[in-house]
Amino acid sequence: MNTSHENKYAVYLLTDNLLHVIYKKDHMIDLEAAQIIVRDRMKVQEGLSMPVLCDIREIRMVNKPARDYFAMEGSLLVKALAFLIDPPVTDVISAFYLGTHLVSFPTASFTDKAEAIAFLKESTT
Amino acid sequence: MLNTDDFNVKRIQQMLMEMARGNFFFSLEPSAKNDNVASLIVMLNMVNEEIRASFVHQGFARAEDTPQYLVQLSFLLNAEGIIEMANQKTSSLLSRLPKDLIGTHITELLTKGSRKIWQKKQQQLLKKEYSDTKIPLELTTGEGLIIRKEFNVTCFQDLDGTHQKILMDTVLFSKSEPFGKGLWKQALKVSKDTRSPKVRLSQKDIRMIRGVHDMIINNLDNDLPKLKDLALQMGTNEFKLKYGFKQLYGTSVFKFLTQERLRKAKTLTLHTSLSLKTIAHMTGFKSIPHFSRAFKEKYGSPPSSLRK
Repeated sequence: MNTSHENKYAVYLLTDNLLHVIYKKDHMIDLEAAQIIVRDRMKVQEGLSMPVLCDIREIRMVNKPARDYFAMEGSLLVKALAFLIDPPVTDVISAFYLGTHLVSFPTASFTDKAEAIAFLKESTT
Repeated sequence: MLNTDDFNVKRIQQMLMEMARGNFFFSLEPSAKNDNVASLIVMLNMVNEEIRASFVHQGFARAEDTPQYLVQLSFLLNAEGIIEMANQKTSSLLSRLPKDLIGTHITELLTKGSRKIWQKKQQQLLKKEYSDTKIPLELTTGEGLIIRKEFNVTCFQDLDGTHQKILMDTVLFSKSEPFGKGLWKQALKVSKDTRSPKVRLSQKDIRMIRGVHDMIINNLDNDLPKLKDLALQMGTNEFKLKYGFKQLYGTSVFKFLTQERLRKAKTLTLHTSLSLKTIAHMTGFKSIPHFSRAFKEKYGSPPSSLRK
């Protein structure tokens, strides 16, 4: 199964039951953006729960309402989550998010894509 | 000079100083770079947001203990957007002299992103004789900090009906000054509906109640044990759990469970094609009628109406 989708904030690629979400450059993620990002992710997944690889390397800011939304509504239908980061900025963002929000599935941050995918495969089999 | 490390470090110091004074409504413009200073700015903004949220939360949940001080920011603009009046607090918060504010175009105080929003909204506002709306805007202070807040913006005709004016204002919370005496004290005192808390919570109790909160969030599809059993399981008593939870989260344990289940169900109903039966099951409702009833009670219409 191969599907792709794109909106203002991100590109979604669905391959072999693994969803890649690649955030675009220069967007401040606020609540409205978070709602669109989550809505489109769920549409792409068609109701199936799956591991998600979130490439946040180009993100520079996610505000609190957006973080809270990602932690609640935004974690539906996610089996495991790997953040792809580029230190130091996105390292701080992902560490802060994971340190202040409750996440009920396996989650980790990586600078290497292959490692991230390996983590997702391992934690969902 | 702009965006050099020296400049950014100064802004970070300024922001920390404001936080130390109890002003959590400022923020810093995030840098487009990916370096250590940029990561510090991001972190500081997020820490500040978390403190601000917990402070307002406490303010409402335990208002009698939290000295709150309201700061009002107000501008009166003419139809072109030139500032005709700004209250004194506004000029001190923005670290600008009143004479520098009066006669200035409002967009000069806004960040680049907000400028666009303002220009678009201003035209819409002035089309009508009277209009009232809310616009989220970012104001920059003289020291380069940002105040991000939703402003009430009202457009009206002056008395002789010849000119249009715009009033924009917002209220910020600060912890820096205690309750005043007299009128202000009365105005800010939360009365009638709030009673003194029934239980005094220790740090350990608060941790325990947060644990219950997290447990509910993680197990929305499961039924909760009886409150008494849940309390025993958490090593406390029913009384403390019941009133402590309400004190921290403003609602009862079971209402909170239903509220979170419905929130999850609403998102699934809106954005997936899963059947309502599956969604009801996933979110812990016993049957579709039960789910529909609870949903309608909260959102005003049954879940099926979101699918049409």
